[in-house]
Amino acid sequence: MTEDPLSPSGAPRGYDLEVRHLTDRAARMGEWALQMVHDGWKAFDQGDRQLAQNVLDRNGKLDLLDDEMEHAVIAFLVLRQPAAVDLRTAAGLLKMTTHMDRIGRLGYDMGRLTIPVTGPRESPELRALLQRVDDVVEAMVRQALEGLEHGRVDLARDLFQRDDDVDRMYRQAQRTVIAELGKNPAAAARLASIVLVTRHFERIADNACKIAEKTIYAITGQRRTEYLPRRPTRLLYDEPF
Amino acid sequence: MSSVKLTVDHLTAFYGENPAISDISLEIPDRGVTAIIGPSGCGKSTLIRCLNRLHETVPRTKVEGRVLLDGEDIYELDPVRVRRRIGMVFQKPNPFITMSIYGNASAPLRLNGRLSRDAMDAAVVHSLQQAALWDEVKDRLEAPATSLSGGQQQRLCIARALAANPEVLLMDEPCSALDPVATAKIEELVKRLKEEYTVVIVTHNMQQAARVSDFTAFLYLGKLIEFGPTEDLFERPTQSLTEAYVTGRFG
Repeated sequence: MTEDPLSPSGAPRGYDLEVRHLTDRAARMGEWALQMVHDGWKAFDQGDRQLAQNVLDRNGKLDLLDDEMEHAVIAFLVLRQPAAVDLRTAAGLLKMTTHMDRIGRLGYDMGRLTIPVTGPRESPELRALLQRVDDVVEAMVRQALEGLEHGRVDLARDLFQRDDDVDRMYRQAQRTVIAELGKNPAAAARLASIVLVTRHFERIADNACKIAEKTIYAITGQRRTEYLPRRPTRLLYDEPF
Repeated sequence: MSSVKLTVDHLTAFYGENPAISDISLEIPDRGVTAIIGPSGCGKSTLIRCLNRLHETVPRTKVEGRVLLDGEDIYELDPVRVRRRIGMVFQKPNPFITMSIYGNASAPLRLNGRLSRDAMDAAVVHSLQQAALWDEVKDRLEAPATSLSGGQQQRLCIARALAANPEVLLMDEPCSALDPVATAKIEELVKRLKEEYTVVIVTHNMQQAARVSDFTAFLYLGKLIEFGPTEDLFERPTQSLTEAYVTGRFG
């Protein structure tokens, strides 16, 4: 062997550039979805009708990006008939973009829950807790996208740990809401929406983990069950804080 | 995994002083299709030709190591008997050109001993049916084999190989001279044959290996780089050389 067969010429081939291009496009779609979450939450938190409507209007482009990605990946599969890492990347991207679409949709759903906050609202403590959940969840999505874009298995793996934190915060938020419903019945409508919002955040974090899972699969070929033992699931109210 | 039909044990094969394949060990499962892939000159054909002792028919060649058929070393058996048990189909269809379709399909039967005409007819029908050729030739069995298309000729060669009632069928790039329709027919046939036979197929075409085989061996520069279930080899190979080859990054 006179040269490295993994990279005979040292320069990326057209094929490699195509895979890169698909990955970059998926990451852009993920950023679009993330921005919908950011603004959807902000609109809900601040009762900003105008921003909420703006988030709703972005859903069309999210659908378009999803369709375009699907089309591009299928064309790659048909025309290139990829194997190994290229096949795993293409298959992973098909799933990842579905999760990105869901993330964007959950941002949209938060925007839709926006109601004016001139009346009674949640306590400052609960509001602060929700903001912390938003910070963590947005950071998770960002990290999942970075892991994808830069092929970083370490960033992807780290997310599973953080998902546990989100689950804990989710349960804490739910209990806080229930406690506040008793103390502050005038804010019931707002608090009911908050129950949904916390659930949306929890789902967004799950979807970020699925993106990470597919990134790990694309890079290493490992499936989640091979590196994360499945844990027994319990009733929500049996879970510790 | 099913039982092992052929065991290749530290096999090295030489042309003169040069080893074409070296120290290859692998276990070929019974009643399955095993594909051998790799770039030109990697030793695919040499390996398959060692499995029925064809390699040694070339002058100045030598084989070291063992090939066990059901546990028996074929290099300690009569080579003619070995080749009866392990049939072969080659890259280019090679029917006996002076013979009819019937003559080709019955040739091994006539070599192997006396059969009544009825028994021979029945055996010819059976092997032509197994080779998925019967419907196309049943009305012209006495036509010359050369009157058939390339794909039909290749299936006739498969029928001829099957007529000897082998246990293993070796196929050395059986579709490389065929068009996509004829190739698809052979691939369908290969999948069906594994119900009764152990099939080993050498192919340049990775998609073909993926389509037809249960296990795949990847050879490079005469060495076995990776051997495993076909799905794993094409989806998540363990060796970086395999990864580079199946993704088209070299070879």
